[in-house]
Amino acid sequence: MVCLGERGVCLEKEVFPVKFAVVEKVLDLARANSIWPMTFGLACCAIEMMSTAMSRFDLDRFGAGVFRATPRQADLMIVSGTVTKKMAPVLVTLYEQMPSPKWVLAMGNCAISGGPFVFEGQYNVIEGVDLLVPVDVYVPGCPPRPEALLEGFLKLEEKITGKRRFPGPESRW
Amino acid sequence: MVERIKAELGATLKETPVGEADYRERGYHLFAEVASADLLNVARFFDERGFYLAALICVDYKEYLELVYIFSNHASLCKVKITLKIDPAKPVAPTISTVFDCAYWHEREIREFFGVSFDGHPNMTYLFLHEGIDFYPLRKEKIPVSDEDKKALGAFRPGEGEDTFFVNLGPQHPSTHGVLRVVLKMDGEYIEDAQPVLGYLHRMHEKMAENRSYLQFLPNTGRMDYLGPMAFNLGYVTAVERLCGIPVPDRANYVRVILTELNRLSSHLMWLGAYLADLGALTPFLFVFDDREEINDILEPVTGSRLTYCYFRFGGLYNDVDDAFVAGTRAFIERLRSRFSLYEKLVGGNVIFTNRTRGIGVITKERARKQAVSGPVLRGAGIPMDIRKSEPCAAYGEMDFDVPVGTRGDALDMYQVRIREMENALNIIEQALARLPEGPIMTEKAPRKLKPPKGDLYHTVETPRGELGIYIVSDESDKPYRMKWRVPSFSNLMIFPELAKGNLLADAVAILGSLDLVIPEIDR
Repeated sequence: MVCLGERGVCLEKEVFPVKFAVVEKVLDLARANSIWPMTFGLACCAIEMMSTAMSRFDLDRFGAGVFRATPRQADLMIVSGTVTKKMAPVLVTLYEQMPSPKWVLAMGNCAISGGPFVFEGQYNVIEGVDLLVPVDVYVPGCPPRPEALLEGFLKLEEKITGKRRFPGPESRW
Repeated sequence: MVERIKAELGATLKETPVGEADYRERGYHLFAEVASADLLNVARFFDERGFYLAALICVDYKEYLELVYIFSNHASLCKVKITLKIDPAKPVAPTISTVFDCAYWHEREIREFFGVSFDGHPNMTYLFLHEGIDFYPLRKEKIPVSDEDKKALGAFRPGEGEDTFFVNLGPQHPSTHGVLRVVLKMDGEYIEDAQPVLGYLHRMHEKMAENRSYLQFLPNTGRMDYLGPMAFNLGYVTAVERLCGIPVPDRANYVRVILTELNRLSSHLMWLGAYLADLGALTPFLFVFDDREEINDILEPVTGSRLTYCYFRFGGLYNDVDDAFVAGTRAFIERLRSRFSLYEKLVGGNVIFTNRTRGIGVITKERARKQAVSGPVLRGAGIPMDIRKSEPCAAYGEMDFDVPVGTRGDALDMYQVRIREMENALNIIEQALARLPEGPIMTEKAPRKLKPPKGDLYHTVETPRGELGIYIVSDESDKPYRMKWRVPSFSNLMIFPELAKGNLLADAVAILGSLDLVIPEIDR
């Protein structure tokens, strides 16, 4: 039973108390298996991001190899490199142009915390992209290996659907 | 050549003496200090004799600021350092951008990092820094930017014209290979003017260098040019070795050559894939990454990383190569040789590609000199200049290879030069492998704490993109007093505005790709 309001399906609580629990789950599964990242290379990590998308590591196995050159078609922003103060407004604009639901993956130490470019008297680096936009997954490394980025994608899937596609690695320490 | 220039320069300068420097220690042959009234004359003097402005550097000595002009020559090895002292309280210098076009960009850089204003410069606005900055970052003391200066520096507005509009190419654009922004003034589909805006990835490497010891700065070199980090590593390491007089064992020199050339291959392969992706062909991208992964497989066990290598050390190497490395490299040479015919079929013999790139972005020899382009772009323009030949470091002097040059100077020539350079690189690796000597990989004489003698050094190496110049000023402490990186992509980008003028927007992307830019290296 779907209640149609004046402007289509209305999901506001007072009007329509039913939650599409199952539908949401199916949608989440679809989203998790077709994450379209944005072609957004910032620095060194962008090369490893490209390597991940290429034949050896084959990001397409996880349905995430469709790199979009425009933010309006993308679900995921991979912040692959150092964010400078000059780049920050551009990055926020790009994030705002992405349609919801959207995710952000901070790739590499620079995007996580400014990485090696934080020192006393630094004047140009944003110390972590999470100061600008909400970040879902952090992938450390300088630069992270492609395997690490793949693990980041699996983590993101886990976050979206609530379960993991493969069994995780054994914890050794 | 050096003698002749010394005599002629002495005659031009009259009162000021021209000194002769020890090239082995300093990296330049002659030096002279000029007064600001003489500067333009000196610039014209070098212009008439076919020199190019290799680098323009500013150093803050606290009591005075010093501008350092390095003039160099394509035909024969002769480097001249011209210095100009200016008052730090009121820093003004005459511009030489009217004589050497590339000075236009260097002077803008110095303006925002040191606050030196150049008389007669047409456009003194921010190139690198964001507009919120309120001091001159590379001055030794914190000097605030006055409101007046701020207004002048932030005055960059692309000029308006009738029937024209603006297109921002970048900072997020797939074909700018990173975060380069070019403001294009368009008349319909044709470009009237192009203004690069840099600094979207300015990571303060030069400031960092002043804050850490020589060894601590070593990993930064790999992050500057992420496609050719070995060459940057090599440049920095050989520069410091030259400054401190550290000997390097033979085996280390040969391994350095092999690894730098392997890295050059991987850089050129990456360029090939990215360039064709810019032009709309996505298939070669997959092929080149296949080859790149093979190179990574060889380098990873030796260097310990896949991308931002930090392998060379002062006086040797971090790790020795083993038999598996040698066998792997030999197998890779065979493999890549067989792949060249495939690339030739796929790209070089492809009518769509050749027709698309022939005749666009033509660089003449004269313009190449004035804009101080270097590397494959310079050789594509027809000037046979390779620093591996003219100033060989490591074991390059013992290698036998030719310098490919283009005939037309267009984008297709740049492609052909790079392909032939890749073949050359394979030959060099093969020679070095055949002659690889046994022995230690690290000198025993390397001091634990480096304290180079007082003085300066301008050292150059050939990176995959061209001439890398490192200017180090040492004050006998364990940290460099000033380190300036003259990077190849920055100089190569300078020629883009005039190449783009009058071209179609679609061709501008093809021209930009042919220059092979790496953005973090431009921004530093």
